[in-house]
Amino acid sequence: MTDLLDKGSAWLERQRKKHATREVTYRRGMDAVVVKATIGRTLFEQDDGAGVTVRMQVRDYLIDTADLVLAGEQTLPAKGDRIEEIDAGLKHTYEVLPLGGEQHWRYSDPYRRTLRIHTKLIETEEA
Amino acid sequence: MATIIQIADAVVAQLNSATFSQPITATRHYAPSYKLPDMKTLHVTVVPRGISSTSLDRNRDMFSYEIDVAVQKKTDGDQATLDALMTLVEEIADHFRVGTLASFPNARCMDVKNSPVFSPEHLDEFRQFTSVLTLTFSLVR
Repeated sequence: MTDLLDKGSAWLERQRKKHATREVTYRRGMDAVVVKATIGRTLFEQDDGAGVTVRMQVRDYLIDTADLVLAGEQTLPAKGDRIEEIDAGLKHTYEVLPLGGEQHWRYSDPYRRTLRIHTKLIETEEA
Repeated sequence: MATIIQIADAVVAQLNSATFSQPITATRHYAPSYKLPDMKTLHVTVVPRGISSTSLDRNRDMFSYEIDVAVQKKTDGDQATLDALMTLVEEIADHFRVGTLASFPNARCMDVKNSPVFSPEHLDEFRQFTSVLTLTFSLVR
């Protein structure tokens, strides 16, 4: 029997990619790939541990699992990978890092089509 | 000026005049707050932490002044960089373990604490090295 939820999820994923994405560069060391990403929640957080407050911009990116191909091989996000986003003449670099008690990424849907990747802003420079 | 602030300033002066394995610029803060992108450069922050006293006689008390020295830097998580930062922390601890403060000679460093030696949370969540030394200076007044 056809899994209607699976088909519906696939349709939604196609619509997301078609209508709600922008191109970003996903980078791991010297390897990079341009992928279409949906910008998920963007928050400002601070950590007061160790007596010194660290403030940061936290951003999630939603990327097709199948699109994350580095050096010719399908891969999953690794801590320390970078996502570069160009906006209004500025290049914002985000680092893939864990968020609170969560790992640095998780699947965004039950069918593992989309990755939700947690990042933190580490650099902004002229594009 | 409050004695603990004078001691904290003396710690800053001493850090900035000493030579360590990597150059540092220490600054004093009340409530240090940094943005993650700014942490690519080494930050050494001095913060007054606490005061306690024990009565010696009717006119004098033995005061203990706790001063925090935080060493912080955003890293790529590579071991060589982390090892170098741990060396710097040890050098700073050793620097204060012996002797008095040049610009506040009445205060003597009696205790140096570095526990935990680094923050595992900062290393995991930001790949940032954070180590806080707590220096305790004794002064009779």
